[in-house]
Amino acid sequence: MATDKELGDFLENVERRAFKQAVYAVRKDEAALDIVQDAMIKLAEKYGDKPAAELPMLFQRILQTTILDYFRREKVRNAWVSLASSLGRRGGEDEDFDILESYEAEEGTAAAESSMDQVERAQTLQLIEAEIQKLPARQREAFLMRYWQDMDVAETAAAMGCSEGSVKTHCSRATHTLADALRAKGIKL
Amino acid sequence: MNTDDINLAYKIRHALNENLDALPASTTERLAAARALALSRKKADAPAGKRKARRFFDVDFGFAGTGLGRLAIAVPVLALVVGLGGLYQYEQQQRIAELAELDAAVLADELPLTAYLDHGFNAYLESQQRQQ
Repeated sequence: MATDKELGDFLENVERRAFKQAVYAVRKDEAALDIVQDAMIKLAEKYGDKPAAELPMLFQRILQTTILDYFRREKVRNAWVSLASSLGRRGGEDEDFDILESYEAEEGTAAAESSMDQVERAQTLQLIEAEIQKLPARQREAFLMRYWQDMDVAETAAAMGCSEGSVKTHCSRATHTLADALRAKGIKL
Repeated sequence: MNTDDINLAYKIRHALNENLDALPASTTERLAAARALALSRKKADAPAGKRKARRFFDVDFGFAGTGLGRLAIAVPVLALVVGLGGLYQYEQQQRIAELAELDAAVLADELPLTAYLDHGFNAYLESQQRQQ
């Protein structure tokens, strides 16, 4: 059974990577923070009495479910928003607003504050992150759980609800896709 | 996956870890606050005695606990057995009384024999008694 300290240490160890995982999936920092907070609370409330060894798998499963819930809510919300906008359509000025534009601008300003080398390095890291974001969701989940969260194949399979063979296939495809994409951009790690 | 693929995967992991250090302070603070909130809501550890009693379908049925624990199980079970026994006795007495009433009515010739086949004979008896 995980003690308070074990749970606290586990969450501290995993929180930033979980945040990034959520950002890769939903592409909004605020939403990703909410998702990580929800996942942490669900883990503590429902599985706080589980052994510490089971926490990584349980947390990943909760995180993936919470991300899926987010997409479901967004889908419903977007349906209402599009319905409302189609009813109240007057002039097109406000409709040109794109959240992705502001998101990209934030990235640019963060990089602009660094020195030349740091900018190059940061840009490389951002390109890697962008390529990871482009991966199909299941491949990305498998890759990040196996190689970033240090979960073994069995744990990853349990967290993803699929077979171990599928995990290996997802990881292999993800790695090849990343390798090809980085090579095409002239990035050598 | 061959060795080159695995090497690439770990290099990407290294790059991702580097990016973690560049997270804004506001984000790390928010994450720390979320962690504190989650810890404050941690599921409480069940006390050992309670956990033992809750294992109802185990072989020992939770009777291996303290004397108080055993009593807590035995008293309700005893009460249930006594209650069921009492209920059975009461039902038997009621049935005997009804049959006796019917026999008495037949012997006194107040009832036609066909009343045996009439499911509503109780109502008939009551109406007869009221008339008397």
